[in-house]
Amino acid sequence: MKGIFVKDLYIAKSNILVTVVSLVVLGFGLSFLLETSALLVLAPVASTTAVFISITSDAASKWNKNVIVMPVSRNQIIGEKYIFYMLLAVLGIVAALIPCIIFAFFGVDITAYSLCLYGSIGISATLLAGGISLSCAYLFDPEKSQIVFMMSFMASTGMIAGIVLLTNVFIPVKDNALLAFGIVLAISAVWFFISYQVAIRVYQKRDIT
Amino acid sequence: MMKNALTISGLTKSYKDFVLDHVSFTVPSGSIVGLIGENGAGKSTTINAVFGLIQKESGHVSILGHEEIDSDTREQIGVVFDGSNYPEILSPKKINRVMKHIYHSWDEQTYFRLLKNFLLPVDKQIKQFSKGMKMKLAISVAFSHHSKLLILDEATSGLDPVIRDDILDMLLEFVQNDECSILVSSHITSDLEKIADYIVFIHEGKVIFSKPKDELIEQYGIIKCGAAQFDALEREDIIVYRKMDYEWQVLISDREKMLKKYPKAMIVPATIDEMMLLYVKGEKG
Repeated sequence: MKGIFVKDLYIAKSNILVTVVSLVVLGFGLSFLLETSALLVLAPVASTTAVFISITSDAASKWNKNVIVMPVSRNQIIGEKYIFYMLLAVLGIVAALIPCIIFAFFGVDITAYSLCLYGSIGISATLLAGGISLSCAYLFDPEKSQIVFMMSFMASTGMIAGIVLLTNVFIPVKDNALLAFGIVLAISAVWFFISYQVAIRVYQKRDIT
Repeated sequence: MMKNALTISGLTKSYKDFVLDHVSFTVPSGSIVGLIGENGAGKSTTINAVFGLIQKESGHVSILGHEEIDSDTREQIGVVFDGSNYPEILSPKKINRVMKHIYHSWDEQTYFRLLKNFLLPVDKQIKQFSKGMKMKLAISVAFSHHSKLLILDEATSGLDPVIRDDILDMLLEFVQNDECSILVSSHITSDLEKIADYIVFIHEGKVIFSKPKDELIEQYGIIKCGAAQFDALEREDIIVYRKMDYEWQVLISDREKMLKKYPKAMIVPATIDEMMLLYVKGEKG
């Protein structure tokens, strides 16, 4: 798996670099308008686009056909993409935390509550979107997968709203926002894991030509 | 030492408009087998089914003695497809770093030596390579992890005759080790005539013949005759025939026997190309 991970890093290197720098710059820029920690909502989602650059590149170069004949299993190919996706999401969070930490160092009031709240929203949106788009990347052809990829972010927002509204039936979300979004995060993690299992099953039976 | 590096038996796969129909042949250890056939005959489908790239409906495949093609088996197989199939943004140097984490037996020294022999720039991105350069790169990778079985699917088609000749020499050198074997699918039958020990001919998804090349070259022949002479031929002597503008061409399996039987007939040796053409465009006897 390490080899294909190295390959994806090479493919997405410049994109990762641009995204991380943009997030840090955006963090400083946003501080004049709103809470810097709000960037945590956007950061993990934005940073995971590199995975789709690697998926598109794989399809364009027919790398998938090549790698199947190498000592790499189909499960490893799928697993690597999901791990890569999560690592990029974590990298996005870290990039967004840099301006937060710097501002906190200079006395700006950035609370752990807002970091946790925005962070859980951002990671939930990332896991929900990835759960849709990653499995579909192995279910559909590259053109359709790109459309699904773009739609997945909108869908994840809708799903979060839906889960929050549902949670509100049992727990008042306004008074327990962190708990509510903790539930959303847990559901998103389960969703992402189910998506991984689906992708493995789909890819095992898929003809690669 | 195992008898066959690759055994394919009864391999079947159906598509809407094409059927790979019970394909069976072997690649004996230490030999080069040439897989020939026109475009769409089923050569690439066979290779794809061997590796599980497509799900076969029935049949058995055994590679290097293993029916289950696990990572250890794949480690010993080098494959070159038509096209480089490497991400175009990578350079040969970066591919080295990727491959050394994929193959336990990756031989960096061999890889860079081959790149040097092929005059390939190590730092240039693959997207700047010509088709021939991409093929040379793919061949360098296939030769750099101590494979025991090489499978080349139309790998020499984009290359000039000089480079093709170099690669054919590499293939011949590779099978000097009795444990190493090669399956080459190619349109360029003249290349296969130079190096192959066996020829497998696939037509419309079926194996038409699988024979030692020497038997084909030394025994098979073409009777070139007129209508009257053609009518005089016994049907069981005719494998396939084709009516040309001014003559009939008849493929036969034993030149010497036919010469004795039809002393007045003009019988010439048949090239692999001519045999393929007769099978594809001719009619059965």
